[in-house]
Amino acid sequence: MVIIIDYGMGNIASVQKALFFLKVENVITRDLDTIKNSDIIILPGVGSFQKGINNLNELGISEVLNNEVLNNKKKFLGICLGMQLLADKGNEPAPCKGLGWIKGEVKKFDVSGYRVPHMGWNNIEIHKDTYFNIGGNNDFYFIHSYHMVPEEKNVISATVDYGIKVVAAIQKENIFATQFHPEKSQIPGLAVLDSFLKSNA
Amino acid sequence: MLKVRIIPVLTFNGFGLVKTKGFSHPRMVGNPVQAARVYNARGVDELVFVDILASKQNRKINLKLVSDVIKECFMPVAIGGGVKTIEDIHDLLKIGADKVILKTIAIINPDFLNEASNIFGAQCITIAIDAIKKDNEYFLYTLSDHEILLTDYLKKISSFTFGEIILTSVNNDGMMTGFDLNLVNLCTQYFKVPIVVSGGGGNPNHFKELFKASNVEAVAASSIFHFTQYTPRDIKLAIAEIGKPVRLIKEPPH
Repeated sequence: MVIIIDYGMGNIASVQKALFFLKVENVITRDLDTIKNSDIIILPGVGSFQKGINNLNELGISEVLNNEVLNNKKKFLGICLGMQLLADKGNEPAPCKGLGWIKGEVKKFDVSGYRVPHMGWNNIEIHKDTYFNIGGNNDFYFIHSYHMVPEEKNVISATVDYGIKVVAAIQKENIFATQFHPEKSQIPGLAVLDSFLKSNA
Repeated sequence: MLKVRIIPVLTFNGFGLVKTKGFSHPRMVGNPVQAARVYNARGVDELVFVDILASKQNRKINLKLVSDVIKECFMPVAIGGGVKTIEDIHDLLKIGADKVILKTIAIINPDFLNEASNIFGAQCITIAIDAIKKDNEYFLYTLSDHEILLTDYLKKISSFTFGEIILTSVNNDGMMTGFDLNLVNLCTQYFKVPIVVSGGGGNPNHFKELFKASNVEAVAASSIFHFTQYTPRDIKLAIAEIGKPVRLIKEPPH
C-alpha cells in the first residue's frame, strides 16, 4: 500500500489525485500503524520547515519514519517541504533541526537579480536518470523560497538553474525526493511519479 | 531557465463565471469546472480562480466548488475570495490549492500576511493589488470609501512577508486594449517577489509589449481567452519572438 502522510502541511489532496490518475491505490494517513504497514511512503508538504518538523515530531511520525525508511528501507518519496525536511538543518523561519537523513542545510535563496520565491516552470538537469527516464519536455513546477544544500554531492539526482545550481531532486538508496511538485507538473511530473512508484527498487 | 508564466483567470460571482469590465458590468461566461477542464487539457502553466464577490458579500468561498475546480487541474492553482483567517487558508490548501490570494485582509491587517507566511510558507501567500487611476494618479481599489494612494500602500506592504503579487489595473480590466505599463513599472521597483500582471491583454501583441517594457515573471488574462480565438499557447509563441523563455507543449486539437 502506498501511503501519503497527512501532517497538516498542505497539498496532500493533489498528490492523492495524481496517484489515482496513475491508478495507484493509496491512502492519506497520520496513523502510525498504517505507516508501519505501508510499502511506499510519500511525504508531501507545503509550509515552513519548522512547523513541518514540529508536526512530524509531535505526531510521532518522525520516529516511525526513521525506522521504516532508514532501517526497513521502504521506498520513500519526499515532495517540496517533504524533501527539505530530510536535511539536518532548516532555517524557515528560524534555525531548527530536520530529520537528518541527508547531511546538509536548507537555506534561503539569496541571488542578486533573481526574485524569491523561485516560482514557475523550470527545466532540470538530470544527474541520475533512475526516475527521470521520461523523455520529452523536462520543465517542472517549482515554488520555494528555500533550497537544500547537501554536503554529499552524490545524493543529487537533478539540479535546476536559478542564478545558481539549485538541487531539484535527491536520491539516496531507497530515498527519492523532489524540490519541484511532480503532482503539479502535468505530463512530465506524472511520468516521474509513475516511474518511481512502479520501479522495483 | 525559469519560464514566463501565462495564467488564465477565472472570476466567479457565487453562481457562475463572469467577466467584468473595469471591475463592473459582469458578463456571464460559463461554468467554472468546465473551464478548468479545458485549461487543463491545454496544459496551461497555472490557473487563478477568484470569487470576486465573496468579501463584498461577506461570505466564504464555496469549498465544494473550488474542490471540483481543483480536481480538474494537474497544474498549480491559486484561489482567492473572502480569505480572512488561518483556517480559511488551511481549508484551501487541504483541498489542493497551491496558493491563496489575499486582498481585503492584507489591506485591513497586513500583519496577517506574516502570520500566514510563518505557518504555510510565504510561497503560497499571494496578495492581490488592484490599482485604479484617477486624474493621473494611482489609488488602491478597495471596498471602503477611504482613498489610499497606491505608492503609500506599496511602500507599506513591501515590508511584510508574502510570496507573490497579482497586480491588476482596474481601468484596463476587460478592456482588451493593452496593459498599463506605467503601473507595472511603478510597482516592480518595490518588490523582490514575483509579480503577475493583469488587466488589459486583448491580443498577443499586448503581451509582447508588456514583456518588452517590464521585468515581470508572469501575466494573467481572462477576456482574451473568453472572447477571442487566442489561446495561452498563441501568447507564448508571440512572447517567444522577443526572446522570453516559455514552456511550449502540444495542445489537443481545437
